[in-house]
Amino acid sequence: MRTCYRCLLWLHPPVFRREYAGEMLWIFDQSAGSQGVAALFFDGLGSLARQWLLRSGWWKIALALSLAVLQVVLGGFATMIFGHRHIVEPAQHPSVINMGEFAHGGSIAHQPLTVGIVMYLAVFITGGLTVMVIGLTFWMKTFGARRRHAAPRVR
Amino acid sequence: MTEDYTPFLPLSPAALHILLSLAGEDRHGYGIMQEVARQSEGQYKLGPGTLYDNLQKLMTQGLVEASPKPPAHDDPRRRYFRLTSFGRGVLSAEVARLESVVREARVHLRAPRRAT
Repeated sequence: MRTCYRCLLWLHPPVFRREYAGEMLWIFDQSAGSQGVAALFFDGLGSLARQWLLRSGWWKIALALSLAVLQVVLGGFATMIFGHRHIVEPAQHPSVINMGEFAHGGSIAHQPLTVGIVMYLAVFITGGLTVMVIGLTFWMKTFGARRRHAAPRVR
Repeated sequence: MTEDYTPFLPLSPAALHILLSLAGEDRHGYGIMQEVARQSEGQYKLGPGTLYDNLQKLMTQGLVEASPKPPAHDDPRRRYFRLTSFGRGVLSAEVARLESVVREARVHLRAPRRAT
C-alpha cells in the first residue's frame, strides 16, 4: 500500500510534490495504523483532484473545453433546426429527399463529413477554446488582484 | 491601519482548524494533524492530503509561513509552520463571525416557534 500511496503522490503537480510529498509519505508511515490506509488513500485522491483542478490552473482548460464542446453541440442543434435548403438541394440529391423534408429541407447535418466540415469544426473549437482560456485567465488575474488590494498583507 | 479580512471569510473547516492549531505555537505537519484531532476531541481528523493542500493555499494567501528554523532537538527534515500576524487577524475575524452566528442561533433556538 505504501508503494500505491507513493504513486499517488507522484501523480500530484511537480511543485506540490517537491514541497510536500516527502512529509506526506512520512505522515502516511506514522498514521497508517491509527487512521486506516483506506482513509489516507481517499484523502490523497481528494488532494490529487483539488491540486490539478483548482490549484494548478488546469480547471481553466477543462472548463474552456467543456464550454467549447457545448458551443459546438448547440451550434449543431441550431444548424439542424434552422438549416437552409440551399445547403442540400433535395432535387440534386434524391437519396436525401425524405430526410430533407423531415429536417425542414436539409441541413449541414445531412452532408457527408468532408475535409471542409472537419476544418470548419476544428477552427470553431480551437477559436472558442482560445477565447475562453484567455477570458478565464484574465478574469482570474483581475479577481486575484482585487482580493490582494482588498486585504494588504502585514508582515 | 484597519485590515479588511472579509475576502477570506468564511474559512473552510480545514483552514479554520489549521490556523487554530498554529495559534499557540509553531508546528510541523504531523503536529498540526495531532493538534486538530485533540482540539476537536477526535471528531475532525485531517489527512495529509487535505492538510498540505490547505497549507499551500494558506501560505499563498499569506496567512501561514514556514518557520525559519525547527527546534534543535527535532528531525531537521520536518518543516515547521507558523501563523503570520495577518493570519492571526483573519482567524480572529472568523472567530468573531462564528460567535455572532452562535449568538443568533441561541436566540432563535430559545424563542418559541410561531406558525406563519
